[in-house]
Amino acid sequence: MLENIGVMRGIGGKMDWLNQRQVILSGNIANADTPGYRPYDIEEVDFSKIMGRSSQTANINPVTTKSNHMGPAKPGEADTHKSKDVYEAAPAENSVILEEQLIKAQKTQSDYALITNLYKKNVGMINIAIGK
Amino acid sequence: MMSNVMNALDISAAGMRVQGDRMRVTAENIANADTAANTPNADPYRRKTVTFKNVMDRQKGVDIVKVDKILEDKSDDFRLKYQPSHPGADENGYIRLPNINTLVESMDMREAQRSYEANLGMLGIARSMINRTIDIIKA
Repeated sequence: MLENIGVMRGIGGKMDWLNQRQVILSGNIANADTPGYRPYDIEEVDFSKIMGRSSQTANINPVTTKSNHMGPAKPGEADTHKSKDVYEAAPAENSVILEEQLIKAQKTQSDYALITNLYKKNVGMINIAIGK
Repeated sequence: MMSNVMNALDISAAGMRVQGDRMRVTAENIANADTAANTPNADPYRRKTVTFKNVMDRQKGVDIVKVDKILEDKSDDFRLKYQPSHPGADENGYIRLPNINTLVESMDMREAQRSYEANLGMLGIARSMINRTIDIIKA
């Protein structure tokens, strides 16, 4: 039911995005000593775009008749790309800087805390509206 | 690609595992820092190095870091030590000791430790995000 409310969908999308980013940053840290590895990052989330997409009620998708048919990308899924502007690169062509990745991870964590609190606030507002 | 924060836990765990393997190999090097050959002109113990690679875990749909190869250090800068009574001593009385510099090995160990801690930190962050999600239910 809550998915029908635009802002809730937006919050859900942002949570998805933060989760996805956390997975990518974990991969970068795990590969901090892999030769030739370039860290990945995720496309910045455009909140207005998410809101625009979430307000569209009709999503036109091709019919999938078999389980191995691939559908279009889900709205919450952002593109990943290799980071272009990294701090520096090690002689073994590895450019994962732990500090840089951990700063990003901390930001992801605090954004996640913010967004979950926002979610709670919205649920609280709905609770007030339904007189609970 | 599955965007599940649970995958972050698997990735960090894999990162910690490979750093653990690296520590094991480094410990092996330090333990064998004085392992000379038993016969004259034979090579002593060679320093071992670890390389990592990224492999796709098809079940989870994410790249997981794994130990690629544990290879021997090809450099031939063996240390020479004058010890004529040793069974591996050459005609001049020198034995050849491994190409291991314990200082380099302890730095390698320290680096592995730091990388391990970084992975542990990421695990903590992922866990706190999961806890935040669970906290929504409590609201």
